[in-house]
Amino acid sequence: MKKSVVVNHLCRIEGHGGINVAIEDGKVARVEMDIFEGTRFLEALVVGRSYNEIPPILSRICAICSAVHTITSLMAVEDAFDTKISTQTELLRELLVQGGNIESHALHIFCLAVPDFLGYSGAFTLATDHPEEVKIGLGLKKLGNTVQETIGGRAVHPVNAVLGGFGKVPTKETLLRVKEELIKGLKDALVAIEFIASLEIPSFSESPTIYAALGSSAQEYSLFGDKVIFSSGDSREIKSYKELCNETVIPHSHAKHSYFKGRPFMVGALARIMLNGHKLKFEAKRTKEKLGLNSPSENILHNNTAQAIELVYSLERSIQIIDELVERGIKDEKPVKIKPKAGQGTAAVEAPRGTLYHSYTFDKEGRLTRADVITPTAQNLANIEKDFRASAERLVDEPEDSLQAKLEMVARAYDPCISCSVHLVRLTPKRTTLPLR
Amino acid sequence: MAKPKVGIFGITGCAGEQIVILNCEDQLMDILKILDIRSFHTALSENDEKCDLDIAFVEGAVVQPEEEILLKEIRKRSRLLIALGTCAVWGGVAAMKNEVSRERLKDEIYGPAGKIFESIPAQPLCSFVKVDFSISGCPIEKEQFLQAVASLVHGDIPILPKYAVCTECKTNENTCLLLEKGGLCLGPITVGGCDARCLSYSIPCSGCRGPVEEANVASEVEILKEKGFTLGDVHNQLRTFAAPAEALQTYFAKRGRE
Repeated sequence: MKKSVVVNHLCRIEGHGGINVAIEDGKVARVEMDIFEGTRFLEALVVGRSYNEIPPILSRICAICSAVHTITSLMAVEDAFDTKISTQTELLRELLVQGGNIESHALHIFCLAVPDFLGYSGAFTLATDHPEEVKIGLGLKKLGNTVQETIGGRAVHPVNAVLGGFGKVPTKETLLRVKEELIKGLKDALVAIEFIASLEIPSFSESPTIYAALGSSAQEYSLFGDKVIFSSGDSREIKSYKELCNETVIPHSHAKHSYFKGRPFMVGALARIMLNGHKLKFEAKRTKEKLGLNSPSENILHNNTAQAIELVYSLERSIQIIDELVERGIKDEKPVKIKPKAGQGTAAVEAPRGTLYHSYTFDKEGRLTRADVITPTAQNLANIEKDFRASAERLVDEPEDSLQAKLEMVARAYDPCISCSVHLVRLTPKRTTLPLR
Repeated sequence: MAKPKVGIFGITGCAGEQIVILNCEDQLMDILKILDIRSFHTALSENDEKCDLDIAFVEGAVVQPEEEILLKEIRKRSRLLIALGTCAVWGGVAAMKNEVSRERLKDEIYGPAGKIFESIPAQPLCSFVKVDFSISGCPIEKEQFLQAVASLVHGDIPILPKYAVCTECKTNENTCLLLEKGGLCLGPITVGGCDARCLSYSIPCSGCRGPVEEANVASEVEILKEKGFTLGDVHNQLRTFAAPAEALQTYFAKRGRE
């Protein structure tokens, strides 16, 4: 008996990807996550460009994560030139990254993933029966954008965050207005958490998982860190990122996959909660208890739950950052002057979908000779296929359409960002026609 | 009047335009009341892949041969095809070095794995199909999209600014970053509509919206040379977002003959 699930174009995710699973004689014969997004070669195209041109170009890798791409890129350039930035700049950058996390998580939870758990085709149909929840979701998404617009000057591809600092530092009054909105947003989020808590999370996708995220000795939960930590107990320096993202060409899927010590691993909100969740405080800590993620989970569908916890965390942390900025007194600083020199710089930040690495080499005039960007979705692809296999093995007797819906849920739970992943991941063999998108 | 049937499509890019549409949080539910959205893969599971459309919004550039076929299919089923964003209108960042062989780039980035797929120099939609209307920007401005939707549902072709970013910057009374601060600013030759967004943050215009009509590229380059920028740096900036644009192609062709 043969059965197959072929999803030509996975919907409600960013970018163009599909699923290909074949079952023969009751056994899962093949699992593939297809990527057929076109390649833009951005890392090769920026070779020869001056250091200051790199962050705005490489932020164009992805729209949803453009804030964290920009910040990681700025940090990598500054690392190469040993540039020291002010604490105020650090705080404003973190606020921008938190804004991106709020926007991205709200979009994914309320518009893309939750419809799966309740059997709707998307947020527009979900809104007919759950208007309040969708309204709160859209409100939180907008709030994340307000933070990004205030700090970054634009919600997608921020313009105001530059090397050494900011083009224009936001005023105290502006920040306090945003704080008011964040306080209201936090109240709304806690209402929405009740709704998330009522969702039943299926367990068909459970499978042993290694988690990876940035960590540090600090007492606070953070999207920044100074090393990479694994649930296996291992840790690595950020500069040795190549060891963790050891990309391998896999013959069956024609895609490069990331393995750590020969095993796939997961990055993203769930990995962060599993590894650093004990550091959460205030409402975020209570939300984690309420949503049942106090004990270890190896179920990728909990990534949506983890995003909900982080949504609360990012709102609370944003309020905290504004308080800290105001307390320190906001200074109208000009960006620190950059002194280019030959060398290499690497930086990593936790993007909504997991650890993002940018690494560059420059010549003595500050022209780029090599760029390497490793995105979360690229790191997750091997793990997605592992979870497809585990799920398909459990669901082998289900009819094809139900199997398909469940595999789509697994893919979507990762919140994959294919525009991001494609720069170094390939790829389905040549097709003559593409599925419509 | 029946609601116009609409498809929102992405070819290759960062999905920025689709994200900007989803960022119209306050208007999203109203948009649904006036448009019959039949296809929007990034947001919906149920998409009609065959029906005739009144309007197709298409973002992204064409970078693989299959995308040309896909784009032509979209054109065939749509009364109006609207290019959304700088990649769709001008080619975008992927088109900055179209003279470099794709085979070489594939080999550099993918090694042997690059052999299994085809890649072509990034091109705007108008290289392959008739485009009825263009909204540029990297990303597009939310307000321009909303205004365009409002015009289209009333049967009008939208009106967008035909003046340069420079004009908007002067209206906003910003200090001139090009003449007074010596910044590498492309405001004089870039089409407006962003309300000189970057300039109001003291960041020079990078030309992300593509050239304004009748842009005097040669004179812009002369000013930048006087300000001390090397021709190489100026050319790099010119090529970043809209290299295939006619104004820039003409400039570079003339430069090549000198």
